[in-house]
Amino acid sequence: MSEAPGGRDRGAGGPGPRLPLLACAIGSLVLGVLAGLLRAGVAVPVATGEHVAAHALLMIGGFFGTVVSLERAVALGRGWATAAPLASALGAVALWVGAPAGWVAGLQLAAGAVLVAASVRLHRRQPQLHAQVLVVGAACWPAGTLAWIASGSVEAGIGLWISFLVVTIAGERLELSRFMPPAPAARRVFVGLLALVVIASPGWGFAGAPARVALGAGYLLLAGWLLRQDVARRTAREAGLTGFIGRALISGYAWLAIGALLTIAAALVPDPLRWDAALHALLLGFVMAMVFGHAPIIFPAVIRVRMPFHPGFYVPLALLHASLVLRVAGGLAGAPQWRAWGAVGNAIALATFLASVAASVWRGRRGRGRL
Amino acid sequence: MNDEQLLDPLAQRVRDALSEVIDPEAGLDVVQLGLVYSIDASPASVRVRMTMTSAACPLGEEIVEEALSAIRRALPQVPDVDVELVWDPPWDPSMMSEEAKGFFGWSRP
Repeated sequence: MSEAPGGRDRGAGGPGPRLPLLACAIGSLVLGVLAGLLRAGVAVPVATGEHVAAHALLMIGGFFGTVVSLERAVALGRGWATAAPLASALGAVALWVGAPAGWVAGLQLAAGAVLVAASVRLHRRQPQLHAQVLVVGAACWPAGTLAWIASGSVEAGIGLWISFLVVTIAGERLELSRFMPPAPAARRVFVGLLALVVIASPGWGFAGAPARVALGAGYLLLAGWLLRQDVARRTAREAGLTGFIGRALISGYAWLAIGALLTIAAALVPDPLRWDAALHALLLGFVMAMVFGHAPIIFPAVIRVRMPFHPGFYVPLALLHASLVLRVAGGLAGAPQWRAWGAVGNAIALATFLASVAASVWRGRRGRGRL
Repeated sequence: MNDEQLLDPLAQRVRDALSEVIDPEAGLDVVQLGLVYSIDASPASVRVRMTMTSAACPLGEEIVEEALSAIRRALPQVPDVDVELVWDPPWDPSMMSEEAKGFFGWSRP
């Protein structure tokens, strides 16, 4: 008997209940970006000082955490797994309204725990290395939240939270790398790199520079692994959507490598602007480029809309990378104005992305029935 | 289900219909990728068993619906069409067609 999210199983609730969850994720992204702009010294409406402090929680938990756990709940096709994006979305709402930090922490912890459980369940369905990697990636999210709760400082969780996203993406890419010619040695190298990342991540908050240098080295080597083994090496040469995804992936891997080098540099010679460059190279250049690249297949899968490919999808991706270059250059040159302009460009790239998704969904609705 | 497998004409039409279902990440169709395990076709019903490369991928539901639509378009006279997503046996890269392997750079056997 099938236990799959096939035609007969609507355990994840169908597209209806998923929409409000996705809306919360996007709301969290918008507020997180506004808070980020305020932090970069750009006067913006809506975001308050509290939101500035919550920037990382809005972006990593409220946006990425909700999206990843919603995606996994859809894949598992079981209603209980939807508790993860629900708790995460409620955590995002708690952040907007300025609820006590304990509520936010509790909800994000619960979301992470359910995501781990859903990932373990998926591993039982498909007991393979990439599914194990997804369990490890998922576990980094609540582990980072625990580090935050234990220390009282959001910064203590940053290393684990970045690894939650990096390891999750790496696990998904490891799975797709199986299309490429078999490479058993490369898989062993992957496991070694993963071990380095997982061991170094918790040290971000308490082990200082050595842990951060080790984590940067792990990300750098992982970027090299992905550039070499990923199916994007082939698919980036294709036309249309497949080529777009492949090119978005390769651009992301380049930023993973740059972000890794910047992490090592910032760990050795700490400076707030340098840290800003490192974190945003990793989280915008790498993780957000993955989101941009995969939105045309994930949105249709999650909320059951059509998103026909359009060359305009390259616009937000190009804006993201160009504005990030400015931001990182500002970080390296010690120029806060460049950083501020880069942050504005990043926000414009994200707004353009949301607009391009909306335009594509609209085109898909109009085109429905013609195919 | 590999390239050499002989199919009756009705099953062959189902397979041709499934060749329209593309995995956008790979840019190849589900038949070439070896994701279609079995096709049982008669004038009264069509039963397809297929898999995905990853159980953690949210595309399963979408791919199943695309497969159902493709089969219904190709064989509108068949009243009962079912596509089941299965995980046993697990997908293995060796299940890909020779053409797909060539696309991804596998050396010829």
